[in-house]
Amino acid sequence: MRPRGRSVDLNFYAQLLLNGIVIGVIYALIAMGLSLIFGVLEIVNFAHGEFYMLGAMCAYFLTVNWGFGYWPAVLIVTAVAISLGCVLYEALLGSLRGESFERSILLTLGLSMVLQNGAVFLFTTTPKMMATGLSYSNIIVGELRLPLSRLYALGLGLAAFAALYLTLYRTRVGKAMRGVAQNRDAALMVGIDPRAVSRLAVAIGIGLSGLAGAALAPVYAVHPLMGFSFVFKAFAIIIIGGLGNVSGAAIAAVMLGILESLVGGFLPLVMVDALAFISMIAVLLLRPQGLFGRGVRV
Amino acid sequence: MTPVQPLLEVRGLTKRYLGLTAVDDLSYALETGSVVGLIGPNGSGKSTSIDCMSGFQAADRGQWFLDGRELTGLAPHRIARAGLTRTFQTVRAYDELTLLENLCVAAQENDGVSWMQALLRGKTLRGADAAARARGLELLATVGLANYADAPAAILSYGQRKLLAIAASMMPKPRLVVLDEPVAGVNQTMVRHIEEVIRKLNAEGVTLLIVEHNVDFIMSLCSRVIVLESGSKIADGPPGLIRSDPRVLAAYLGNKRAAELDAGNG
Amino acid sequence: MNAISVRALAFVIGLMVLFAIPKLTGNEYVLALGISFAALSVLSGGLNLVYGYTGLLSFAQVGFFGIGSYTAALLVTEQNWSLWSGVAAGGALATAVGMVIGYSSLRLSRHAFAIVSLSFALLCMIVARDWVSLTRGAMGIPGLPAPTINLPGGMRWRIAQPADFYYLLLGFAVFAHALIYGVVTSRLGRAMRAIKLNEPLAQSQGINPLAYKLLAIALSALLAGMVGGLFVFYLTIVDPSIFDFYYTETMLIMVIIGGPGSFWGVLASSAVLTAVPDLLRFTTDLRMVLYGVVLIAAMLLFPGGLGGWLHRRRVARWRQPRVAP
Repeated sequence: MRPRGRSVDLNFYAQLLLNGIVIGVIYALIAMGLSLIFGVLEIVNFAHGEFYMLGAMCAYFLTVNWGFGYWPAVLIVTAVAISLGCVLYEALLGSLRGESFERSILLTLGLSMVLQNGAVFLFTTTPKMMATGLSYSNIIVGELRLPLSRLYALGLGLAAFAALYLTLYRTRVGKAMRGVAQNRDAALMVGIDPRAVSRLAVAIGIGLSGLAGAALAPVYAVHPLMGFSFVFKAFAIIIIGGLGNVSGAAIAAVMLGILESLVGGFLPLVMVDALAFISMIAVLLLRPQGLFGRGVRV
Repeated sequence: MTPVQPLLEVRGLTKRYLGLTAVDDLSYALETGSVVGLIGPNGSGKSTSIDCMSGFQAADRGQWFLDGRELTGLAPHRIARAGLTRTFQTVRAYDELTLLENLCVAAQENDGVSWMQALLRGKTLRGADAAARARGLELLATVGLANYADAPAAILSYGQRKLLAIAASMMPKPRLVVLDEPVAGVNQTMVRHIEEVIRKLNAEGVTLLIVEHNVDFIMSLCSRVIVLESGSKIADGPPGLIRSDPRVLAAYLGNKRAAELDAGNG
Repeated sequence: MNAISVRALAFVIGLMVLFAIPKLTGNEYVLALGISFAALSVLSGGLNLVYGYTGLLSFAQVGFFGIGSYTAALLVTEQNWSLWSGVAAGGALATAVGMVIGYSSLRLSRHAFAIVSLSFALLCMIVARDWVSLTRGAMGIPGLPAPTINLPGGMRWRIAQPADFYYLLLGFAVFAHALIYGVVTSRLGRAMRAIKLNEPLAQSQGINPLAYKLLAIALSALLAGMVGGLFVFYLTIVDPSIFDFYYTETMLIMVIIGGPGSFWGVLASSAVLTAVPDLLRFTTDLRMVLYGVVLIAAMLLFPGGLGGWLHRRRVARWRQPRVAP
């Protein structure tokens, strides 16, 4: 009896861990974009969650209404999100300077209200299930049942990590971006064009958000208010990881995902929801600059 | 040699940034009633040292005392309440408040009126407010801005803002006032005017520590000059001695600032 | 002197008209609008104190409002507390929570405060939905009883009719605005403005920014919590939608349009923005889309808001060449 019970336990833990990692990677996609935009532009993008919602919506319509496959849909959504990011920067965020912090929040909040309530107006709040073959496929490894849709989301997230890492650490413009995030004035002095860098940061940030939405569309129900509840965790994550610290946000996101999943296996739902907030307050009280220090002056 | 306690005593003040030592084991003392200049080439640690002393930056090491009371590590507002006020290099004012309001704000934390008294608006508050207004008007007259008492601070010119900042730093009747570059970037007439204002305030008993790039201004105004280079004190004495100090000359020559010192000599 | 007495007269007449409305018209729709105005104006007035005067963008108001509502509703229905003690407890709990949020985040930066306050508001809604054993989850607590207030002289006032709630909430709103007005026109309000305009300068003058920021947050939390506790008995139900972001967006728009840091401006815009969209019968979604557009336009076209415009006018007037006095 005993060995069997332990293997069931292990199985249960492994399942929780996997779910935690998947959700953590998706948190990371959203939080890294948010953190990148804050680091480079000193703007907190309150509309960030809406681009996640738009990504999921687009993926839903592309696959269900227009018959695209999962992978082409993800590609299209990511490309559209990146272009949307450029448009967003040119139309709204480009006119803001760092000192108008409250203005930037109100501006992006206004955008969030338009996108979210516009989506409610057009599509109603009824959740839509993106029921493709993918949603019900599993891979069985030993006694573990791994839903294919979650594995795909995990793979996409990791691929996006790798791409972002290569961009930030291996390309000239990526180095410029980190330079601006670390020391704005010094970066301006060595001749980095702040507009080009900022535009790219917003494009990448929104692109990651859209990608996250598309990747998760087969896992969760798609509805206009989905970005809202997600982004509040992303805010907690960027404070925990250190405002403007992109890798800190990624690590904090995966940690939170795993922790939430494990806590969710044993404690009531309300504890799962409160976890991100309580961690944030604890970090603020004990280590205000974030677990991994800050990448930017605040 | 000094039987009386100095007004300000700084011991071993040190501040490092990322391995670079901006202020290195700086010690000095100021006598009550003096006007002392703090000069040095760019990046010599003048501004950093007073930012630490006023609590706006955390010092890595060192202690400082005002009238024997230790101020080390206190928050800026506590240091101000203890009697050490300052002005800023980037001139600061409350643009949307009137000049008189600018000054009254500067005194309100020092007159002992509690929050409750402020809300209930009793006699204590009225007395304190009347005193602050009277002192504010007097200081505005001293710096020559009395005509604009009810105008918003935003209308002032750059030099006038420096005057307002000086007046505001005097409002709570501080023991020591630190002026951070009071004449940088203002025209010659205004420099003379500011010099006169400082002399007048000193004659009323205020002790001043003045950080400046304008060596000429410091030499004619101060009875004693402290010179910093690379965060360390390299000279300390009356202007006459400072001008001929070989280390000072070397520091300024090495930094293409000999011309400034020459102008002071001529 | 003359201008002041004219203003005082207008104020007294306005107040008398407001209190006479239930006698002039029995129209329940008008009373409902008046009750909404009383509640929303307390929320926007508190936000104005925190954001308009002290410069802290806060999304926590709706959290305080909902905490006050739930606390009062639970204490009155399940513990048989009186209305006022329930409402006071709601206000006290909201204040305590506000202090924790403010103290923890303000030591880092005002950026952190804005983020934490938003997270807090969203968390409140989720907790209200998921902590079923306390809040009864998404269904909420329906059928709140009509509260009774003991009046001096042994009289009991049973608050059941819309007109009763109108008097109750209007009375509380007058008290709340008087308190806010008292603060912003005192030297406390002057220190708050100083912190908003130039925090390092204020620090160098002995002003402790954290103390004044916490005072502003505490006052706004207290008033929001108390008005929530009163308003919820008019609704007769409390459920997670009391934390709806709709309230946050509405009070933000009221403050932005009325002019952050302008007491009367925000009060006037609260009245207009309570009545107009309702009279035009917009659906909530469409109204929020419009508010969003207004917010974006205001931030792009009038970055300083009404206050900034007034300030520029005042500066221009002083800069005009004048005859020496």
